[in-house]
Amino acid sequence: MVNRLISITEGDITIDGRSVRQLELTQLRRGIGYVFQQIGLFPHMTIESNIGSVPRLLGWSKSRIRERARELLELVGLDPEGDLRRYPGEFSGGQQQRIGVARAMAADPSIMLMDEPFGAIDPIARERLQNDFLRLHRQVRKTVIFVTHDIDEAIKMGDKIAIMRDGRLIQLATSDQLLASPADEFVASFVGEDRGLKRLRVRMLRDIELDPPSANATPAPQVRDTTSLHYALSRMLTEGVNRLDVIDEEQRHVGSARLQTIMDSIAPASAPKPGESHTAAA
Amino acid sequence: MQTSDPFSFFIHNLSLFASKTAAHLELSFVAIGVAIVLAIPLGVWLGHVHRGSFLAITVSNIGRALPSLAVISIGIGILGIGFLNVMVALVILAGPVILTNAYVAVEGVDADAVQAARAMGMTPLQVLLRVELPLGLPLIFAGVRTATVYVVATATLATFAGGGGLGDIIVNEPTYGTGGVIAGSLWIVVLIFAVDGLFGLVQRLVTPYPLRRLGRKARTDALIEASWEPSSHS
Amino acid sequence: MSLPVHPILAAGGGPVIPNFGGASKCVVENHQFCMSWFLHNFNTVFGPRLVQHIVLTAIAVGVGMVIAFTAAIIAYKENWFETPFSLLAAFLYGIPAIALFELLVQLTGINVFTAEIGLVSYTLLILFRNTLTGLRGVSDATIEAARAMGLSSRQRLIRVEIPIAVPAIMAGIRIAAVTTISLATVAAYIGAGGLGEPIFEAIQTGFKTEFIAAGALAIALAIVVDGLLVLLERLVTPWRRRTLQGA
Repeated sequence: MVNRLISITEGDITIDGRSVRQLELTQLRRGIGYVFQQIGLFPHMTIESNIGSVPRLLGWSKSRIRERARELLELVGLDPEGDLRRYPGEFSGGQQQRIGVARAMAADPSIMLMDEPFGAIDPIARERLQNDFLRLHRQVRKTVIFVTHDIDEAIKMGDKIAIMRDGRLIQLATSDQLLASPADEFVASFVGEDRGLKRLRVRMLRDIELDPPSANATPAPQVRDTTSLHYALSRMLTEGVNRLDVIDEEQRHVGSARLQTIMDSIAPASAPKPGESHTAAA
Repeated sequence: MQTSDPFSFFIHNLSLFASKTAAHLELSFVAIGVAIVLAIPLGVWLGHVHRGSFLAITVSNIGRALPSLAVISIGIGILGIGFLNVMVALVILAGPVILTNAYVAVEGVDADAVQAARAMGMTPLQVLLRVELPLGLPLIFAGVRTATVYVVATATLATFAGGGGLGDIIVNEPTYGTGGVIAGSLWIVVLIFAVDGLFGLVQRLVTPYPLRRLGRKARTDALIEASWEPSSHS
Repeated sequence: MSLPVHPILAAGGGPVIPNFGGASKCVVENHQFCMSWFLHNFNTVFGPRLVQHIVLTAIAVGVGMVIAFTAAIIAYKENWFETPFSLLAAFLYGIPAIALFELLVQLTGINVFTAEIGLVSYTLLILFRNTLTGLRGVSDATIEAARAMGLSSRQRLIRVEIPIAVPAIMAGIRIAAVTTISLATVAAYIGAGGLGEPIFEAIQTGFKTEFIAAGALAIALAIVVDGLLVLLERLVTPWRRRTLQGA
């Protein structure tokens, strides 16, 4: 609907304050990168031509398109020299979707629409693609609308998650808020019985209140402050300790995390109040 | 007996049409019969053992490429004029279509069904007779139908090699006049569509009910695939 | 109307061997195949007719392609068009060559034009069906991607759908070409020339060498053209050559 592949029946969608209904259709679409489950690479075009599809429509020069294709292949983790001249049929599903992502980003659109992009890819390759896309997203900041049926994928990929049911928006929240206080039964069952455990994944040690470093404490295993609570807890369980020393980027000891602190951070008392989620800004 | 009106020519020469049609069909069906006897067992066997896809595809490609009049012409050069020459030529033209369809029909039978049959302890012969042939029958018959229509049409050329049939009327304007030529041409068209329609009905009958839609799709797929490059099959 | 050949003559009379000056023993006794006669007369008897045959075929397939391609595009956009055109093309295709030529002669006379009308009408069914099948074979995902990129329906057709249909179209051209080569031999009967001409000559004279030579040339032409079109198809569809197995 955003790129009007499906027409809008009711309401409106605005991009930078302008309604998508007012924008010229082809202009609108060329400005939105689109990645979807079936990938839809053009089988008769080389990878270079596939990536260059939209730039060519926009009238870029050949050399600029080639340069851009190289750059993007590198970015999505493919071989920018060898793979440029090959055809989609020569790549696996996961590689094809990397090319699909590269193609969608070719003209550097400010918005990317991703409709279950990794849905048809085997779990191991999907995991890698997710991680690579997250890394990519940190390098190239864009507004990404990511549609998925997999709540874990949503929690992992999304800054903000909108839960839709039968075409209605049920809840819009950060993954942490969503797990802490689901809006209703439906959302609660959708995020899963183990939402407490899942929440451990979305919070990092630096998000919780640490005990200040103390000189007379016995040394504990060291972990980075960007470690997830999930991993920290796992470390405690496997090493049989109830305290970890947290270090920052420069290896400075910034504090200690106790088992109790982690538990408290997940406990209902510290959760954001329901209703707050809607107003939470990104 | 010359007239420029094809319809009155037809009405006044019913016995001529009857005898020429009989000769035409005799020639055609003898040729088809021989082609069936030669091509179906070979195609079915190749399909059953899943071998010879190269042979089947090559035979089909060359078979389709053979110009009918050229085959008849070479036949006259070697065997002389007459029924035998034309029949041999028609067998050569019909064989590849039947062979390829028989091969594709049996080769393409759902591998799961064949595996299930084997797992039940059927012997290879039982697999062939109880699973592969019944499932392949619609496509095998489709080949026979295509070949028959082709042969009945091509048999019109038999007249050039003294093989008789309806071509005798069509290419003999000095004897039968314009009306005769047109009547003969229209009659052969009617005959072709009648034969095709009749075989279409039989084809429906030999197709088990649940396979009727499937059989048609399989046939189309096979034709399209066979017309593409051979490597897609190997 | 006088026809160029009279089969009854051939069936009834004895062989009338053309004497092209100093006929060899082989020719006089009408042996199976006289290689020296064939080689001597290739440039005068067979060469020009071979060229004629190729031209006849090329024109028929070319014109047929223009008509069938246009029709297929229309049917691709407007579904209702498929059935009537298919029925018409199938009807034409079903008529035996000699009967169609005889019927057309009544309308446009004995000439190359009549022959081309007949030959073109035989190409329509195959070319139309294959083109339409090829266009419809473009996957929904590919079309969705093209739409999402902002390609207009015309751009989609030219840049995506038609190129992807090329293998199916080429397969159709192959079949149409060999079919036309076959039917063009029959077209010699209504004065179209080509390799059928020596065959009809031989029917009158009973000269075996000419029967076999003309027949073999026509067959060779069909097989060579078929092979060349396979090569051409591979050349224009490099993307079908290498694919991941099972991907």
